[in-house]
Amino acid sequence: MSRLQKGKKAIKQMYEKKEKLQEDAKDNAERLKQLFSYGINKDFSYKQLVADYNKKKIYLFFYASIVNSDKIEEFIIKPIHEGEGDKLSKIINTRDLIEITDFEQATDDINNGKIVLLMEGDSIGYSMEVSDFKHRAISQPANESVIRGPKEAFTESLFVNISLVRKQIRDKQLITEQSSVGTRSKQSVVLVYVSDIVNDEILKNVRERIESIEVDTVRNVELLEQYIEERPYSIFPSILYTERPDNAGAYLEDGHIILLMDNSAACLILPVTFWDLFHSPEDRYSRFIFGNFTRAIRFFSFYITTMISAAYVSLANFHSEMIPPDLLFAITAAREYVPFPLIVEILLMEFAFELIREAGIRIPNPLGPTIGIVGALILGQAAVEANIISPIIVIVAALSGLTSFVIADTSLNYTVRISRFIFILSAAFLGMLSLVGVFLLWFMYAASLKSFGVPFFAPLAPYYKSSGDTMFRKALRAEIWRPSHIKPKDLHKKQRK
Amino acid sequence: MIKHYGYIPVIFLLLLILTGCYDRIELEQQSYVIAVGIDKGEETGTFSFTFQLANPEVGATLSAGSDEEPQETVTITGSDIITATNTANSFITKKITLDQTKVIIISEELARSKDFIRVIQTAARTPQIRRSVQLIVSKENASDFLNNNEPKTETRPHKYYQYMLNRASQTGIIPDANLHRFFQITEGDADLFLAIYATTEISEPKESGSEDEYIAGQVPQQGGSKTQFMGSAVFKEGQMIDILDGQDTRICNILDKTIEMEELLATYPDPIKPEYQVSANYSQKSVPLVNVSYDKKNNHAKIDVTIPFEIEIIAIPSLVDYAQNNKYNQKLRESIEQSIEEKTTKLVKKSQEEYGSDPFYWSIYIRRYFKDIPAYEEADWNKVIYPNASITINYKLKRLEFGKMLKDSKLNEVRD
Repeated sequence: MSRLQKGKKAIKQMYEKKEKLQEDAKDNAERLKQLFSYGINKDFSYKQLVADYNKKKIYLFFYASIVNSDKIEEFIIKPIHEGEGDKLSKIINTRDLIEITDFEQATDDINNGKIVLLMEGDSIGYSMEVSDFKHRAISQPANESVIRGPKEAFTESLFVNISLVRKQIRDKQLITEQSSVGTRSKQSVVLVYVSDIVNDEILKNVRERIESIEVDTVRNVELLEQYIEERPYSIFPSILYTERPDNAGAYLEDGHIILLMDNSAACLILPVTFWDLFHSPEDRYSRFIFGNFTRAIRFFSFYITTMISAAYVSLANFHSEMIPPDLLFAITAAREYVPFPLIVEILLMEFAFELIREAGIRIPNPLGPTIGIVGALILGQAAVEANIISPIIVIVAALSGLTSFVIADTSLNYTVRISRFIFILSAAFLGMLSLVGVFLLWFMYAASLKSFGVPFFAPLAPYYKSSGDTMFRKALRAEIWRPSHIKPKDLHKKQRK
Repeated sequence: MIKHYGYIPVIFLLLLILTGCYDRIELEQQSYVIAVGIDKGEETGTFSFTFQLANPEVGATLSAGSDEEPQETVTITGSDIITATNTANSFITKKITLDQTKVIIISEELARSKDFIRVIQTAARTPQIRRSVQLIVSKENASDFLNNNEPKTETRPHKYYQYMLNRASQTGIIPDANLHRFFQITEGDADLFLAIYATTEISEPKESGSEDEYIAGQVPQQGGSKTQFMGSAVFKEGQMIDILDGQDTRICNILDKTIEMEELLATYPDPIKPEYQVSANYSQKSVPLVNVSYDKKNNHAKIDVTIPFEIEIIAIPSLVDYAQNNKYNQKLRESIEQSIEEKTTKLVKKSQEEYGSDPFYWSIYIRRYFKDIPAYEEADWNKVIYPNASITINYKLKRLEFGKMLKDSKLNEVRD
C-alpha cells in the first residue's frame, strides 16, 4: 500500500468518521444536501414533510433511482401524514427503522438504497430499508450449460443470489456472513458457509484477506478474486468461478466457502484444487458410468490440447524416425510446397485459432455469422490451397482448438491455452528433450501451488482421505468422506451403519 | 524478490540464442532410404552401396498425378554406409537418412566373404539404423536385386517390404532376421544366424513334390513380380555357409523358442494312398519344450525336444475317410508326426555334421550349467558340445481337426 493511499484514507476518516449528527435537524439536512451535492445530483431526492402527530418538520433523503417509491409512499409518507401516536417509531410501523447518529452511516445508508429521516428537534436520524436496485431476472447459465441438472444461474443481485443458494441447502447452519470492501464505494461481500463443516482457519484467512483490501472500490466478484488470491501472476487459478447455484451448493456441502457480491452473476468458491477446476457439475448429475466416460474424454482432451501441437513440432523437426513411414511420407509430401518452417506453420494456425476465438467473443451479434465463414475459409481451404500451410497442420490446430473447449472452467481454459504455447516453443527448441524438460518444470510448478493452504493436486498428491472424486468419481453411495484436504470439521458425508 | 524473476526470461532467451535449434531438420529436407544394398567393391576394403530412396510425393493424395517415380535407386562406392550417404549427396538433393530403412540387402558373394562382418559393424555403431532392420541375402548383386525388383502392385517401396516380409515370415518360409538378432548370435559365438534369402533371378524351377521345398528363385511362378523371398541363408560366425530351403526354415522357426510361430499350411503324405498328399494347417499354440541335460565330466549334452502342435486338415484329395474311421485316423496321426519328425531329425543331423552348430538358438538352454562366461566358452558349444550331443526330437499331435466337414463326397455315388 502506498503512502498516498494511507494519507487519503486518513483524511477521509477525519472528515467522516467523527462527524456526529448535530442537535438541529435543519443543519443536519443542509449538511446532507451538501454532502450529496443536492441540485446537481439529479436523482438525489430531498423531501420536507410535516408530521401529523406533533406538527414537526421531517426531512427525507433518498436516491430516487434505487428505492421503491411505492414503499416510501405507503410506509413512510402516509403514516407521517395520517398516523397517530407519540413516537416516530410507533407511527412508522416497520421493524427495520434504524437509529443513526453520524453522517457516515447516513451517507452509507442512502448509498445502499435506504431512506434517511431527520426530525426537527431530534438529534438522531432514522433510516429504513426501501431499496430496489434493478437487476436481470434469473436466467439460464450462459457458459456452464448442462443437459441434466438445474438450469438456474446466478444473477447480478446479491439478495437473489443468496436466495438461490439457500434454496440449494436448507440448513440452519448455512451462514451468510456479511462484510464490506471498498472505502469510497462500500460494497458488501457475503461469505456463505456451513458453519459446522467449514474449517475455521480457512474462514479466518478469507475474512482477513477481504478485510485487508484497501482500495476505493471493488465492484464485483471478478475483481474481488484478483484482490484475495495469493498469486496474482500465476498461470494457474486458485479460486473457482461459477455461475451455477447448484455447483455452489455442492461445494458448500463439502465445507468450501462461497463469496457473493452484488453486480456479479457468479460466485467464488474457495479453496479449490486442480480437480475442482477440472470437473463439471454434470459429471455428478450423470450416472456413474456416464459421468466417468465424460471425465475420461475430458482428461484425454486436456492432454491433447496441451500436447498435440508441441508433440507434432518435436516429432517432425527432431525425431522423424519416430513417425511411421506412411504418415511420414504423407506429412513430407504435404510440406513439399510450404514455404515456412514447421514451427511457423503451427504458430500461425494456433494464433489464427485464438484470433477466431477472441473475435467470436467480441464481435457484435449481428455480425456473428461472418466469423464462421471467414474462419473456415482462412483456416481451412484457402490457406491450404495457397500452400501457406499443410493440411496436416489444419488437423492438428483444429484438434488442439476443439479439445480446449472441453475444459469448462474459464480460468483453467486460459491456463491450458497459454501452456500450449509454452510447450510449442519448448518443443521447437530441442525437440522431445526440451519438451519433456519444460513439461516437468510446468508440472512441478503446478504441484507446488496452494490455494488457501490446500495443495493443488490434493487429494491425489499428497494423498488425503476424500470422496475419491479426482480423475474419476466413485458411485455416490460409496462416497463416505468429505474432502479432508480442506480440513472440514465433520469428515463424514454419509453415516456408516 | 521481484527483481530476480526478471532474470528468468533473460536466461531463457540466452539459452535460445546460444544453443539454437541443434539437430532440427524439416521433414522435406530429408531423403528416406528404404533399402540399402551392399556389394563387394572393386578393391578390398571398398564396397558398393545401393540406396533405394522413397519418393514421398507418390501416393500422397494432394499431389495426385505426380508422374515422378515412386523410388530412386542409386549406387555409390564407399568404405561404409554412413560416409557413402554423404558422397551420394553429390547427386541426391536432400539429406539422406537411414531412420526409416526397412531392409539391408547383401549379395551372396559378399555374405560368403570374410569382409561382410566388417561392413555390417557400422550398422551397430550408428544410431541411424534401427536394430529391427531385416537382413536379406540376395543371390545376385544387391544393386541388381534392387534395380530388378519391380513390384506390380505395391509400388511404394516401404509398403512393399513391409507387406512382403510380414506375410512371408507369417507363413514361416523366411526367418525373422533382424539386425539385433544377427549381432546377438554373432557376438554370442554359438548357434547359427538365419538371414532371409531372396532373388530376382528365376533359375530352373525345381520339380518338387512339396510346396515349401524351394529356395528363392526355384518357385515355379507365372506372372507377378519376379522377386522371390524363400528360404534362408545360414551364417556361422558372421559368414554365410549354406542355404536352407523353405521347409527347413519353417522347422527352424518351429524349434526356436525366440521366434513367434503362428501357423502354416503344409502337406503331409497320405498314409493310405501314398500318391496323394493331405493338406493341413499346422499351428503351434505353445513353445517347444527343450530339455537339456548336461554332463560336466564328459562335456556331453543330451537334448530332448518335445513339440506340441495342432493340425486342422484342410483337404484330403484321396477322399479316404480319416475323420470318422478310427483306425485310419490313428494312422494319419502317426504318419503326420512321423513325417515331421523325420524331416526335423534330418535337419538336426545336417546341422550337427555339416554346420557344427545349430540354427535353433538352443545354446541358451545350456548356459545355466556354467559358472561364468569363460567356463561356457571353454566348453565350446559350437565345436564340441553341439556336434556330439545326443538329440531326440518328439512331436506331439495334441489335436486333430477336420474343418467344417466330416465326410467328403462319396466318389462312387458321384460317378454312377
